[in-house]
Amino acid sequence: MRAGLSALFVVLCGISLLIGARQMAWSQLFSLSGDAWLTLTASRLPRLAALTLTGIGLSVCGVILQHIVRNKFVEPATSGGLDAAKLGILVAMTLAPSIGTVGRMLFALGFCFAASLVFVAIVRRVKFKNTILVPVIGLMYGGVLSALAEFHAYRNNILQSMQGWLLGDFSKIVQGNYELVYLILPIVALTYLYAHRFTVVGMGEGMASSLGLNYSATVALGLMLVAVTVSATVITVGAIPFVGLVIPNLVALHYGDNLSRTLPVVALGGASLLLFCDIVGRLLIYPFEVPIGLTAGGMGGVLFLALILWKHR
Amino acid sequence: MRAASQRMIWLTVIALAVFFLFFRSGLDFDYVIPKRLARLAAMILGGICIAWSSIAFQTLTGNRILTPAIMGYEAVYLLLQSLLVLAMGTQSLVALGANGNFFVSVLLMLGYSWILHRWLFRNGGQNVYFVLLVGLVLTMVIGTFTQFVQLKTSPGEFSILLGFTQASFGRAEPGQLLVSAALVAAVCLAGFRSLPTLDVILLGRDQAISLGVDHRRTVRLHLALIAVLVAVSTSLLGPTAFMGIFIANTAYAQARSRRHRITLPTGCAISVGIFILAQLAVEHVFNYKTTVGILVNLVCGGWFLATMARTRGTA
Repeated sequence: MRAGLSALFVVLCGISLLIGARQMAWSQLFSLSGDAWLTLTASRLPRLAALTLTGIGLSVCGVILQHIVRNKFVEPATSGGLDAAKLGILVAMTLAPSIGTVGRMLFALGFCFAASLVFVAIVRRVKFKNTILVPVIGLMYGGVLSALAEFHAYRNNILQSMQGWLLGDFSKIVQGNYELVYLILPIVALTYLYAHRFTVVGMGEGMASSLGLNYSATVALGLMLVAVTVSATVITVGAIPFVGLVIPNLVALHYGDNLSRTLPVVALGGASLLLFCDIVGRLLIYPFEVPIGLTAGGMGGVLFLALILWKHR
Repeated sequence: MRAASQRMIWLTVIALAVFFLFFRSGLDFDYVIPKRLARLAAMILGGICIAWSSIAFQTLTGNRILTPAIMGYEAVYLLLQSLLVLAMGTQSLVALGANGNFFVSVLLMLGYSWILHRWLFRNGGQNVYFVLLVGLVLTMVIGTFTQFVQLKTSPGEFSILLGFTQASFGRAEPGQLLVSAALVAAVCLAGFRSLPTLDVILLGRDQAISLGVDHRRTVRLHLALIAVLVAVSTSLLGPTAFMGIFIANTAYAQARSRRHRITLPTGCAISVGIFILAQLAVEHVFNYKTTVGILVNLVCGGWFLATMARTRGTA
């Protein structure tokens, strides 16, 4: 199963490198210069790296959040994290227009972290009759946050452009404007290092504390990792729904919840799903592109519906 | 005591309505006041729809944070509007006309609720949470799609789409108001007699059945009524998202009772009052630099979440 997934991932990487609006003469490639080499290094490879890292980051984010909130339906899109990052970018753009990408990301990071802390606090205080109601509260919370953002954007007449840069899109990824996404690498490494702790956090506060874990510190660390990943991806590619929801659920169905064992599968799965959605988006109206936010939203949604229909039987 | 607080709410709402009609109007009975009357009518109709549908739905599902709005109705409505603008551009307005769009939306949402209805009852009527999950996924998928359409349209078309995706009272035509009023009146007449039965259903399915209520029939009747109300309010005002949750819970708290003869009118009064306040704020405080939908989401949503967290409520 794992070998199959790895093979699938490698094949998808190959296809992703091969397609694009510009036809490449592969024979030129061995001279390490010229048109084909430029296309490969300035556009195709950065895109592949950004896709893979975003896929890994989003699915790992989903897993961490699901362990912290102890609910299978939570991901940044259903817990207010994405809306908070959007609000952060908007605030940065209007308060300090010349702050640059890193500054904007820091704003997004701060807002996302704070919003996640508040969300976890709310979820812990409310008694839920059914697990599906947790994402309802999360969506409502996200609705309040995005109403704040819309209030601000509507006054400044930038609502349409805000919708635009929030929809996930890899077509603008070229050498020089995507490097922030590499922040996901240390995040994934840290997650892997602390995987055991997140598994224990998923057993609940009482259990975690009696096993000798500093519960609140681990939760804060997890939320921080999520906030960094979400803000880095929103800044570079925009919002992509469902990856953090579908992949962890599929993996948990087969492999259970022991994070240190399942994390590599989750990461590979997330990267493969994004690569596949991107390839479909690039081929649908070739040589133009459908933004990945749309293909991932559609395919992820269908996959998730199929998953719950199947579980429901 | 309870009667007194009820009277207070109604007096406040009437005072607000009068204030809304005449404030800074210059007593212009030819233009300003008729326009405001139309908006007031839209608010009253929308308020009744939202309060009734939310409270009745919460009774049927036995849950205090569900409303029909989040079961996918609004997503379907938004999808229709985005598709219209994407496929036909601004011409969709001319081709269909405001009334045509209204009727198509109502029909579409009634169709959706028929499908929902069949799903809800497939396995003995215990599928509410499953339908909720499907509704949430649909909302997210269609939300992404709407975002894509908004990205593709020109700023002029976008501003038209924006008019549909944000709740507002200004776009209702007199003809739509008349049809909506007739529909709402029909629903109220049909539903009012069985309100005591709803009180029994509030005790739970098994208790209601052992007390002699035809549970299945009553639930069907009220779901159908709710479908009409949601269709009317969404196509009249636009999406109101989580407002219904806030209205219903405030109504329970204010009425200090769960009898529907009391909570339903209280809920209607509260929602009309909130609409008038929001519209006043948009017109006179923010000078049209924001919309009713944004304000309602911000204030009602924030307030509801804060109370839930503060009182350690049950969801």
